[in-house]
Amino acid sequence: MFKLDRRSFLAASAAMSFLSAFPRVALAGGHGDTVRVAIAGETGDLDLLQNVSTLSTYSAVFDGLIHYGPGGELQPGLATAWTVADDGLSISFDLREGVTFSDGTPFDATAAEWNLKRWMGVADFSWIGIADAYDSIVIDAPNRLTVKLKRPVPAALLELTIVRPVRFLSPNAAAGQPVGTGPWIVESFSSTVTVLVRNDAYWGDKPAFARMELKVVPDELARANALRAGELDVIGGDWVAPLSPRRAKALAGEGMTIVADPGTATTILGFSPKSPMMQDKAVRDAIFLGIDRAAVAAVLFEGFADPTADIFPTTVPTAGTRTPVPARDVAAAQAALTAGGWTGDGAGWTRDGTALEIDFLVSEESFPGSRRIAEMIQGMLTEVGVKVNIETVDNATMHDRRPNFDYDLTFFATYGAPYDPHGSLGASFVTASDTGPDGKIYVHPDLDVLVATALETGGEAREGAMQAVYDWIRDNTAASPLVVTQRLWAVHPRVQGFSLPATDYDLPFQGITLG
Amino acid sequence: MAVQFLRRAALAVLLMLAATAMTFWLVTAAPGNVAALIAERAAGAGADGEMIARIAEDLGLNDPLPVRYARWLGDALSGDLGVSLRTGKPMAEEFAERIPMTLALLAGGGVLALILSLVMGIAGAVSNGGIVDRLLHALALVGASTPNFFVAAMLVIVFSVWLGWVPTFGVSGFTSWLLPWFTIALFPASVLARVVRVNLQEAMSRPFATTGFAKGLTRGAVLLREALPNIAIPFMTTFGAQFTLMIIGAIVVERVFGLNGIGAFFIEAIRFRDFIGMQAVLTLFVVFFVSVNLVVDLLAMLADPRMRRPRRA
Repeated sequence: MFKLDRRSFLAASAAMSFLSAFPRVALAGGHGDTVRVAIAGETGDLDLLQNVSTLSTYSAVFDGLIHYGPGGELQPGLATAWTVADDGLSISFDLREGVTFSDGTPFDATAAEWNLKRWMGVADFSWIGIADAYDSIVIDAPNRLTVKLKRPVPAALLELTIVRPVRFLSPNAAAGQPVGTGPWIVESFSSTVTVLVRNDAYWGDKPAFARMELKVVPDELARANALRAGELDVIGGDWVAPLSPRRAKALAGEGMTIVADPGTATTILGFSPKSPMMQDKAVRDAIFLGIDRAAVAAVLFEGFADPTADIFPTTVPTAGTRTPVPARDVAAAQAALTAGGWTGDGAGWTRDGTALEIDFLVSEESFPGSRRIAEMIQGMLTEVGVKVNIETVDNATMHDRRPNFDYDLTFFATYGAPYDPHGSLGASFVTASDTGPDGKIYVHPDLDVLVATALETGGEAREGAMQAVYDWIRDNTAASPLVVTQRLWAVHPRVQGFSLPATDYDLPFQGITLG
Repeated sequence: MAVQFLRRAALAVLLMLAATAMTFWLVTAAPGNVAALIAERAAGAGADGEMIARIAEDLGLNDPLPVRYARWLGDALSGDLGVSLRTGKPMAEEFAERIPMTLALLAGGGVLALILSLVMGIAGAVSNGGIVDRLLHALALVGASTPNFFVAAMLVIVFSVWLGWVPTFGVSGFTSWLLPWFTIALFPASVLARVVRVNLQEAMSRPFATTGFAKGLTRGAVLLREALPNIAIPFMTTFGAQFTLMIIGAIVVERVFGLNGIGAFFIEAIRFRDFIGMQAVLTLFVVFFVSVNLVVDLLAMLADPRMRRPRRA
């Protein structure tokens, strides 16, 4: 039998003390004017017409005509001004003068036309309203062009702020070479790192540091450890290198700066409109009232989420009036079931011999952490007397079943800025839309009419038309919004002035200085 | 011996065919709509039913499984393993980029496992029930029962985060390899150390060892000169098996240490249901398993004349 005597113990303790006192080797040194940002997957070649490359890198390299500002404010990009005709059938753009692509090609109306015609009027991009309604382009002057449309597209200007395909590539760029007018130039890209160097000829505010390395680190724990070790400066962002709330909490206690800004996408509990059980509004009401959103936000998201009862947060434009977040009310939930003809109590409910039992479809791959949220909701609804069966499936199965409404309950998320509110409404709440594998949050003939009206309405009437949609969804309990997850990043102390851009799809670099 | 070897080689080819057929079936039979995933990847929110149907048709997903397998096999034999659905690159290109990384991981890990296991096994046998033997036994037990992701996390925290001696991820010099090599070597080294220790103990009780002692040789000398050569065959076969299993460990180790190898690619392929990528990697794994075992068989035949004799009914 092994015995630990006093001498061995002291020797081991001395060894440990020696090890911990050993001066830390500065492996992370020598990065000077470079910010090192973790990315979960390789950036790829940033092809503007393919949905392969990492979304967040495009905005560093490419500009759009219009940029998306806080709250959906439209800011001048490569267009300094724009005019929408009264009939909505044409939009004229004054293009920024003196801008060149990083290969020296001038940006002018000809280059803009070449870019726009790559996706406007092309069937694969018909999901973008302005592409679907495209009629022609007229070059009015070397730095002015007009896009003519077959029908008005009220969200056209917002659509021009999305990530791809709307940004501008040098017409002289070789295949596979990402050459834009943006603040960064791609020096190299591989499956392990993409190196960006500052575009000193950039027309806007230039970054304060010269180089940015986007390092591929697929594992979240490895990213956190690299940040702790000083090998990375920035980690986080749902579309860059996701950081879990729990990890963020841990990093905050270790001297890292945690940046958590209000989110733009809502996590929603969706009710299948084809499920007989979910067609019963009393059941939907009971679920809506039986969930403690504040507890979900506090416990599962460690406070890095905001409970909500609305489809869109105020960080996206025309998000509608605010609905007070309901406190969990088991009695009210049970009363809703009783009013709906169900009999029972906390032990279970029946109606016409049918037990109230619902299937909750969950995929950790589609939505990391969803199983835990589902279990928490299951516990809450069990107290109401609603039996919930959680079914965990892989991403592909989710993509198969969700479009067919083959579930009772499942999670959805809105697209967030800059795609909302028109993006999620037009795709996820319309019967006729074809969202492919994403499925839809809720559809109903009455809702179809309201959404179509809202999306076709421009000007001052738009807000009212949008509100009519939100009111219908709320009055019919067509969905159960849960939380708006915050945009979560962790930053090494040497990085100062870190702030987040307006959308999750942009890479944060503006304002950063290196200590 | 040549006939024996050729017979085993032919068997290995049949085994590879059967294994690829089985993996093809498993990969394609898994639930879910691959075409929908690809459409979503290609067009994001623009993916629609028409696009999904077109992709399914283009990829031949509507054909019967045997037809699809035959088509894949024909392409694979001509060196075309398809194009990754996730990255859009030909698999040959992915392999060319990633195999050197995985080979470096396996080779370094294999050498380290070999050295550690021999040192631990021999030291244990020399100690023979002493404190060193018991400590090494406990160490081997811990090493063989600790998951490599946990080992990796602990090593990174101590040597990268606390001490800052080695990088946490990626390859930026020789030191970058130390933790991945140790992590991937720990399990096989622990298993092999026990194999060395137990076989040495058994060899030390055989008549040739007794003769050695009678000649006045020390225990260490008998171990190294007489017993060690006699455990070569069991050590070699176990090492071969452990070495092939290291590629499974590479799947986790590459991801944790941010190494851009085949294992890391495989994880992403599974997540995305890149069935072309998965099938290509699984085929590579099959070829690796069968080839390593074939080489071990050959070495065993060379080392032991009894294994060269044809088997009698």
